[in-house]
Amino acid sequence: MTLLTVLGMLVFLCTSVWLAVALDTACRGWISGQGADRADGPLRTAALWLTQQRLTTEAPDRMNALLSIAGYMALALTGLALVPLGPDTALIALPTSVVLWGACEALVVVVVFLHGWSPNAPLAMIGAYRYVAIGLPIMLLSMFVLIAAALPAQSLDLRDIVTSQADVWNLIRQPLGLPLFLLLGLSLTLRGPFDYADSADLAGGTSVEASGPDRLGWQIARLAMLTEFSAMAATVFLGGYLGPVLPGPLWIALKTLLVMTLVIGLSHLAARMPVSRMMSLIWMILLPLSFADLIWAGLVAL
Amino acid sequence: MTKDILFYALSALAIWSGWRVFRVDSMIRATFALMVSFIAVGGIALLMSADYIGVATVFMMAVEMMVMGLFMVMFMMNPAGLNPMQMVHQYRFSIGAGIAAFVGLTVAILTTPLPDNPLPPGGDTLRDLGFELLGNSMLIFETAGVTLLATMVGAVVLSSASGRFGSAGQGSVPPGLTAGGPPAGRTAEDGKGHGGHAGHGMSMQKKPAMQAHDDHGKGH
Repeated sequence: MTLLTVLGMLVFLCTSVWLAVALDTACRGWISGQGADRADGPLRTAALWLTQQRLTTEAPDRMNALLSIAGYMALALTGLALVPLGPDTALIALPTSVVLWGACEALVVVVVFLHGWSPNAPLAMIGAYRYVAIGLPIMLLSMFVLIAAALPAQSLDLRDIVTSQADVWNLIRQPLGLPLFLLLGLSLTLRGPFDYADSADLAGGTSVEASGPDRLGWQIARLAMLTEFSAMAATVFLGGYLGPVLPGPLWIALKTLLVMTLVIGLSHLAARMPVSRMMSLIWMILLPLSFADLIWAGLVAL
Repeated sequence: MTKDILFYALSALAIWSGWRVFRVDSMIRATFALMVSFIAVGGIALLMSADYIGVATVFMMAVEMMVMGLFMVMFMMNPAGLNPMQMVHQYRFSIGAGIAAFVGLTVAILTTPLPDNPLPPGGDTLRDLGFELLGNSMLIFETAGVTLLATMVGAVVLSSASGRFGSAGQGSVPPGLTAGGPPAGRTAEDGKGHGGHAGHGMSMQKKPAMQAHDDHGKGH
């Protein structure tokens, strides 16, 4: 049974990674006005990266470069394993699963930093430091949002958080929660307005020196993280596996894809700000908003 | 059985990465080796049914070590923390301190009567821990928490370039000596020998964010 669940989740992960690539390509074509790319474009890129020679910089930290890619992927898989698929079905069943997810989220900052640090190159390094500056406060904000979501369930267990949404989803009960949480998703997956690590203004940032299989691995890990984040957002705010008629796992899959589409749309449509202005926005507006969300949740729970 | 193997594997990882902290040649590697060591200890706590403490250790250490690494690089004036450096200093004192700490901790472990009653199955350790920690002192804890958070936000506001002298987008310009007057301090002069300096000052005033990038570039 467990093996079957693992297999099913892996198939879903591959499908959603594929869908995310297709959506990204479509969005890029639509916004640039150059029409859609060839359908096999992403596959060709992947094959190219896979067969490409691996170029290295002078005195790179080879171990940390590999560990950062593997770690990013492992964090995405761990997060996915925490998502409950039914009242008692979760691959990692812990009474503190929300906190464990928070730990994964905190470690993402570390692995992205290591990915930028290990090639021993200036642009990658700038991307890494810039990402930490933005990644840490946005994580602080998400903690308040998650605590607010755990309040009505009176538990740190994701399974209880889903059950507590049987009557009304957290999306409606805590209207500020999901919008703030989506910003965290953009930051965790290095996308759009929160892409301070791998952005074009640094010629690719932390992955500017990554080539060959390393580059492919990093990009796949980013998309896996996107899937994992979407599944978590669907669990915490959209009632997870709850839903009429269809079986639970199908509901969570559908909701995950919905959130993923939202995040991809946001990452293409929202503009990116200079780091310092983004810092002001996070500390002066978004963080107080997350406090408001927590107070709101507390008052509703009373 | 599985738990025993896991316990020994995690202990070995904790000890090995702890030893690596003193053998690697870079601050960043040392920081994250220490993080791995703490994460292994967090895993051991999870094995001992201390769910919250184990997971919270991982969580806290990830953030803490990231911040610590950044601050070490900032204060050591080592561009981006990439230069190899010696991580061990003051050999005689540190060897003495290490032996004293080891003996002290070993004596403490061996002489403390450790509890050996296993947890009742199905016990809610999370709830017990919460009442143990916060039962009688909830108000004190919460007050301290909010105060610390306010202090943190205040420190960030005071230390950020955009906090005191206007918005970050316009650069850092000191306030005027009179209300609404021109900014205090030296202003850039036109030409006259100091051209290079003045030009540099101007460009730095306009783009404070670029300054850090230039520094990194020079480090290589």
